[in-house]
Amino acid sequence: MSGGLTGARNGDGRSGGAGIRLEKLSKSYGRVRALDGVDLDVPAGELVTLVGPSGSGKSTILRLIAGLDRPDGGRVLVGGQDVGELPPHRRSVAMVFQDYALYPHLSVLENLLFGMRVRKVPRAEARRRAHDAAARLGISDLLERHPDQMSGGQRQRVALARAVVREPSVYLLDEPLASLDAQLRITTRADLLALHRQLGTTTVHVTHDQAEAMTLGDRVVVVHEGRVRQEGPPQEVYDEPVDTFVARFLGSPPMNLVAGGGVLGGEPETIVGLRPEDLALDADGPIEASAEAVETLGNEAVLLARCLDGTRLTARTEPRLRIRPGDAVRLRAIPGRLHRFDAGTGRRL
Amino acid sequence: MTAPEVAPPDTPRRARSDRTLSGWAFLAPYGLAVAVLIALPALLNVGYAFTDHTGLTRDPQFIGLDNVQRLTSDTFFRDSVEASLFHVAVSVPLRLIAAVGLALLLAAPRPGGRWFRTAVYLPTVIPDVALAVLFLWVLNPLYGPLNQLLGLFGHSGFNWLADPSTARVGVVLMLLFPIGEGFIVVLAARRMLDGRLYEAAALEGCGPFGQLRRLTLPLLAPVLILLAVRDTILTLQVNFVPAYVLTDGRPANATLYLPVYIFDQAFEFSGFAYAALITIVLMVITATIIVAQLLAVRRWRILR
Repeated sequence: MSGGLTGARNGDGRSGGAGIRLEKLSKSYGRVRALDGVDLDVPAGELVTLVGPSGSGKSTILRLIAGLDRPDGGRVLVGGQDVGELPPHRRSVAMVFQDYALYPHLSVLENLLFGMRVRKVPRAEARRRAHDAAARLGISDLLERHPDQMSGGQRQRVALARAVVREPSVYLLDEPLASLDAQLRITTRADLLALHRQLGTTTVHVTHDQAEAMTLGDRVVVVHEGRVRQEGPPQEVYDEPVDTFVARFLGSPPMNLVAGGGVLGGEPETIVGLRPEDLALDADGPIEASAEAVETLGNEAVLLARCLDGTRLTARTEPRLRIRPGDAVRLRAIPGRLHRFDAGTGRRL
Repeated sequence: MTAPEVAPPDTPRRARSDRTLSGWAFLAPYGLAVAVLIALPALLNVGYAFTDHTGLTRDPQFIGLDNVQRLTSDTFFRDSVEASLFHVAVSVPLRLIAAVGLALLLAAPRPGGRWFRTAVYLPTVIPDVALAVLFLWVLNPLYGPLNQLLGLFGHSGFNWLADPSTARVGVVLMLLFPIGEGFIVVLAARRMLDGRLYEAAALEGCGPFGQLRRLTLPLLAPVLILLAVRDTILTLQVNFVPAYVLTDGRPANATLYLPVYIFDQAFEFSGFAYAALITIVLMVITATIIVAQLLAVRRWRILR
């Protein structure tokens, strides 16, 4: 590798990779402001998940780290070194794209060998690394296939293997699970986590799926409108969202937000939030409402209720409720679980 | 996203045969035209090749292999085949390189790109007779711009259309301009390639030349083969107009391409049957070259 970055490799084949540091990163595409002063610190070896709605700028962050785009302002540091002037291949990053971007004219083996051929890695070593990576991802028996002869899940594994072969200091995963069906997504999620544990390399993972963000990653970074809204361990972000956006974005069904407190009680200049699971059915509850709909999910049910003052609330309840739309219900907010936000700024109070 | 169902699996057999029937019905007008306007004349042509038909004969007689015998000792025919093969061998690769090169250069959206793309396509719109007349001027040894251009480099220029070897080059030069169709096809094909592949390659350290060699050309290979085959067929035929306008098959039969010779025989020398035989030879030559091309690329396993 010519003057690029390489991860420090321990005896057991694990490599912590390199830490990433973003400083005041900004980027516009034409008149669209994609990033607006992003600061982020990813310690070596950590798995961080960037989550946000589409168009929030999270993929842009990945592209700037990879070097596929150049920032308008700010710095990208990998392993403490400013990589702003380094072309993508000198940054020791491997990227997995949402649609995998496998070379359709090449077999799986040739896909794995592609980068090493470009970088003139000796043939024997290249083959060894390709077979190692294939074995690690369980695709050793697919090596002769072409991308169009494989399922989505298999292609996804090939894309990951192609990144692993690179032995990078940083993995960048751009919605790696988004093209998989729900069942496969859950198993692959676990595999991805296991792979990260094995390799121990710094990984930045981007998703728009809040459930994926909660389960995957030591830390979750919520991105919205080109800014980092909040970062921290998933549970912490879930328990104490810093503003109404984060509050609504993480968790499904989303948090109930009532301006002025209303039925939940509170000052007029505030917005009061309550997670659906913190709202319980209670025959003596203080909140009177009528059921609008019940969504049955098997292991639980989601009750949509309309209060007497017109406020709509969502509650997560036991399954097999004998409630029909129009029935009167009484609800109780679990004490101490209310979130208060400033009505003007949306910030947590 | 799930793919839309084409037909529910329990479609009744009759509905399906109705659809097949209407398919054939839609095909019928075209099929009829092909049969009457192409297949039938082609068959007649094969028949005429073995007669003494002059084009005006009321009752052509079957004369066996007399025309074939004449062909084997016809030095004009030999010149003609040689001229055609030279032209295909030089013109097809150059036209392909020009069309593919320009398309790849101009595929990326950039300011003013559409003007360049229009400029590349423009000569294709010009009627080939007009283009040929234009080239009479371009290739004029006294005041033509090409010789003046060579003069800038201290070269005395060529007597383009009067010298057998440069006359062929002159025709090749002229046909290097109407490449718009291949250009458009490559342009469209290049734009359909996934940009992510190039980003993935860039991350692996693959530069512009490596991307061309390892991604663009292999991915475009099926299109390139199609264009090569098509251009071979085309090139063996379209040199008729330039040869007719620029040189009339001369000098020394250097540009007496097969279509020119066929035309001369059929409509000037009253050798209609003989010309019919040469068209068959032209078809055989065309088919042979195409088969050779396909065999040559088969080992790359592009056309899976």
